[in-house]
Amino acid sequence: MSENATCCECSESLSEDEMALRLEEILEEYRDKPGGLIPVLQIAQSQFGYLSESVLKTISTAFNKPYSEVAGVVSFYSFFSTVPRGKYLVRACLGTACYVRGGKEVLSALKKQLKIDVSETAEDRLFSLAVGRCFGACGLAPVIMVNDNVHQRVKPSKIGELLKAYAAGEKGGAQ
Amino acid sequence: MNAPANSAIASVSELQRIPQELTAPAGVKQILVCAGGGCLASSSEKVIAALRGEILKQDLSASINVSAVGCMGLCAEGPVMLMVDAMTFYQRVQPEDCAEIISAYASGGAVIDRLLARAAKDGKAVPCIDDIDFFRKQTKIVLRNCGRIDPESLDDALAAGVYQALGKVLDGMTPEAVVEAVKDSGLRGRGGAGFPTGMKWSLARKNAADQRYMLCNADEGDPGAYMDRSVLEGDPHSLIEGMIIGAYAIGASQGYVYVRAEYPLAVARLQKAIDDANARGLLGRNILGSDFSFALEIRMGSGAFVCGEETALMASIEGRRGEPRPRPPFPAQKGLWGKPTVLNNVETFANVPAIIDKGAAWYASYGTERSKGTKVFALAGTVRNTGLVEVPVGTPLGELIYDIGGGIPNNKPFKAAQLGGPSGGCIPRQHLNVPLDYESLSELGAIMGSGGLIVMDDDACMVDVARFFVEFVQDESCGKCVPCRVGTKRMLEILTRICEGHGRMSDIDRLIELGETIKQTSLCGLGQTAPNPVLSTIRHFREEYVEHIRDHHCRAGVCASLVRAPCQSACPAGVDIPGFVSLVGEKRYDEALRLHRNRNPFASVCARVCFHTCEEKCRRASLDDSVSVRGIKRFMVDQEYEMQMPEVRENADYAKKKIAIIGGGPAGLSCAFFLARLGYKPVVLEKEQRPGGMLVQAIPAYRLPRETLAREIRLVEGMGVDIRTGQALGRDYSIQSLRDEGYEAIFVGIGAPEGIRVNLPGCEAKGVADAMAFLREYNIRGSVPVGKQVVVIGGGNAAIDAARTAIRLGAASVTVLYRRTREEMPAYAEEIEEALQEGVRIEALTSPRKVLVDEGSVVGVKCLRMHLGEFDLSGRRSPEAVEDDSYIVPADQVIMAVGQTLDASVFGGVLELDERGWVKADPVTGKTSLAGVFAGGDSVTGPASVVHAIADGERAAVGIDQLLSGEKHAFWRAEQANSTDYDPDSDPVPYPREKLRMMPVEKRRNNFDEVEQSWNESEAIRQARRCLRCDYGKCIVCDEEAVNV
Repeated sequence: MSENATCCECSESLSEDEMALRLEEILEEYRDKPGGLIPVLQIAQSQFGYLSESVLKTISTAFNKPYSEVAGVVSFYSFFSTVPRGKYLVRACLGTACYVRGGKEVLSALKKQLKIDVSETAEDRLFSLAVGRCFGACGLAPVIMVNDNVHQRVKPSKIGELLKAYAAGEKGGAQ
Repeated sequence: MNAPANSAIASVSELQRIPQELTAPAGVKQILVCAGGGCLASSSEKVIAALRGEILKQDLSASINVSAVGCMGLCAEGPVMLMVDAMTFYQRVQPEDCAEIISAYASGGAVIDRLLARAAKDGKAVPCIDDIDFFRKQTKIVLRNCGRIDPESLDDALAAGVYQALGKVLDGMTPEAVVEAVKDSGLRGRGGAGFPTGMKWSLARKNAADQRYMLCNADEGDPGAYMDRSVLEGDPHSLIEGMIIGAYAIGASQGYVYVRAEYPLAVARLQKAIDDANARGLLGRNILGSDFSFALEIRMGSGAFVCGEETALMASIEGRRGEPRPRPPFPAQKGLWGKPTVLNNVETFANVPAIIDKGAAWYASYGTERSKGTKVFALAGTVRNTGLVEVPVGTPLGELIYDIGGGIPNNKPFKAAQLGGPSGGCIPRQHLNVPLDYESLSELGAIMGSGGLIVMDDDACMVDVARFFVEFVQDESCGKCVPCRVGTKRMLEILTRICEGHGRMSDIDRLIELGETIKQTSLCGLGQTAPNPVLSTIRHFREEYVEHIRDHHCRAGVCASLVRAPCQSACPAGVDIPGFVSLVGEKRYDEALRLHRNRNPFASVCARVCFHTCEEKCRRASLDDSVSVRGIKRFMVDQEYEMQMPEVRENADYAKKKIAIIGGGPAGLSCAFFLARLGYKPVVLEKEQRPGGMLVQAIPAYRLPRETLAREIRLVEGMGVDIRTGQALGRDYSIQSLRDEGYEAIFVGIGAPEGIRVNLPGCEAKGVADAMAFLREYNIRGSVPVGKQVVVIGGGNAAIDAARTAIRLGAASVTVLYRRTREEMPAYAEEIEEALQEGVRIEALTSPRKVLVDEGSVVGVKCLRMHLGEFDLSGRRSPEAVEDDSYIVPADQVIMAVGQTLDASVFGGVLELDERGWVKADPVTGKTSLAGVFAGGDSVTGPASVVHAIADGERAAVGIDQLLSGEKHAFWRAEQANSTDYDPDSDPVPYPREKLRMMPVEKRRNNFDEVEQSWNESEAIRQARRCLRCDYGKCIVCDEEAVNV
């Protein structure tokens, strides 16, 4: 199972054919497992960045389930996205500990810096913004998570620098 | 090592030999570095790499080994590490420290002082982990291996004895015996509900089936709880072992761990542990050569909180929408894919091996009568030592917060602890003694829950906290049942409007009614517990809801719609603090003064004696330190050459109204001032020969020079207020006689000028004085008898004022006796500091028991030493006497300063009093029980601060105006647009907070010259520019119309 099913691992955009090929491999492993639908969706999302209509149709055919049922599962869980997300998913924690330690201010600084609202993606597809509900780093609140990296004791005034480091890594090819 | 590392362990006896075989070779020193989620976020992987690099560099690979281990618990101080030979604990380690650490360790263990933990009480370094308060008071069962083994190494786990309990089970224990052992241990589900685990297992076992499932709930969704994460990341093999034992007990051959997707590291480590266990024959077919088989897989969540609910979790594993279903049938009957299923959470499973290993009786020896064992709490919020702690069930909340957690940072008062996340509730300070067990917590409207414990100080708004949780559950409600889906939405709407200042009084009851209905009618646990945070905050903090609705005031300064700037919101008088501070920054002193006097006439007085609660709420404190509002104000008032009077609206009709103000203290003078601004011409009747109340009678001139006070009183007089001195209520006139004389409105502000007498044996002797009388006599009449050896009893401002006055009048020694700790003294910290500098001795934790008398005169005070006992209703530890530890403080004068009261007989019985003996008055208008009579200040609230009295006077002035004119005209309540320059994109100026200068101690004896000195202009302007201008672009009450709603 992929360690990184939570976020987008792809930077290059795949062609429809390549996607279909990769999807076939995934389906091969999980098609006959009981309850295999959700792991397949998780892996597909991590590989492709989001779940397109054609991907969902292939999956529903493979599992012999109506498209509506698969779409229902996808819409139920907040981790699935049917639109492309940015390369970096920035999640501001608004769990209790972060909330009482200024998580709201961190979120508004993120919105201001990225010029997008929650669950939106910046035009350059570099960053998407989401709200998280506790990453289990409450002792270091407030925290944000950029893909799988947890940043602790974030100060609203330092958000710009933090994001710049990711953007620079993108341009320079290393973080 | 004899056993080949990768072959299957074929039998229990082989397993039992492994721990000895795996013991580390002698001579290799171990270093354990935390690689738990918290420390990784603090970059502990860099520390690990630096340590390993340094070992290579110094060629010490054969003698020092570095292991990356799971969470040690003290996340706040990460990255943390443990030097195993002497159990030295280092915290906040940086890669730069590593060369020194390795060199020191190799050369024989010199300890690096700067990396050590510090004891809370004396700041001394504590090298050994077992001596650090945070660790010393814990009992680790669940977290026994966390932070001690490499979670990615099965050998480490085996060496630590993991899987030995499994061996014991497979070596002849029947499944029934396992179930019995768990039943006998008293273990209850740690996921929140506390259902007995053994009972759950036996129910599933009884249902005949071809297949049963063992599930682990690792969908740790409660914000603020992360103990499951810690076990998954720090000791995954113990979880696996617990699951295998459970599967054996109920006869399950397949299991799933449902882990939330937010924990990628936990998933990775658990997957590795499962793979390793499979490879060594500890999982899978024929475990340890027995005929028992159990397969284990991970299923990841996809971001749905409701999947923590057992039936929803199973739906999710089945590949469906994670919606709960009604029970029965219970999962033990029909669970995953319709088969009998047991679902326990991570912490529960982690307990099981320890119970099997050491026995049910051992486990049951921890905890309380009805709740056994230990519980892990995730300590977060405003507490010094945030992190994971494990304590026996039933440990008092206060011990957890203060003894282990180290208390609240900056010594702020504890306000509440939130337990159990969105399903739980808040525990206020009067219940700090509550034992943390299932029953006691639910009696208070909270729950044990999964163990998230968020500590909150006075900066948390309880209405906002409730709104936060309801928003959370509303967001996470799966939508299947109406009460949860629609009900929480309605609750959220109501709470949002309260937080925005549009609430109605009936909203509070509506919330309770809605909450009770949602609790009773929701389908699953999420909805059934969703109203708890609201109901519990209403129960314990109803007055905050009332303030939001009635006064549009958020005392914590959190609710954005009600708070222009937190400092202004915190000021009882509502002074526009960012306004006058920024005007000072532009040298516009006259405007600044007028802006201040718009809400508080006593700018010069408050620049000296105000307790400046504004500074406590200053947002700059989160950057470096709060803005010195009082210092800036002090500079501002020193620039006043011509008295700056704010707007006055003359009104010939109002001037004819007869208004009497009884008491010429800050409350009465403030009331007179605001009435005069509306055109009224009130009369102030003052008992003493000089007006000013406590300001002139009690506060010594070295804090508040007499001329400063007199100038501001003259300002009030100049507005047409007639102040008549020597007029005592009850002696020269009565409330009734004033009414007979045609006074249409009367304000009572007589304060609380009488000292409380305590019945200490010997207190009738010559030389025993009351602090209020002592101060008044000196301040009004100019002289008072002072002893050579003076003892002052009490810890408030009056006690410190009396002590410092006695020092100035020539006392050779002055000792203040206070029964609680120095930190808890109610006197202002700066005053205590100055008193100490001037030579006053403070004996804290001391209780005077007897005044010793010889020939009718005082010769000393017999005292008992106190120690701190349980938490009392004020949230402080109550002092308890140590009976045999008494001593004598010699004294020829004893000044009692233990409290103040008022003499209610002067009212002639016409005013109703509250249960504490203060005048009963409406908090909004100051109206008393008698029509036309208003009251405010200390006589209503009990002894409080000057600025509270000023605020009370203002409110009563508005109330009186409304009575006499039928309308409200409080034009000063409209906020004034700030005309200073401010660039919102600029960075905060870097200047640190400066202290005010003080007169040298040696110059203070034998005179009452002012001690505190003002800054110069450039200093003051730099300080003013430190303000972050929270008010920028915000105007909450912008026009006069809004004032009169």
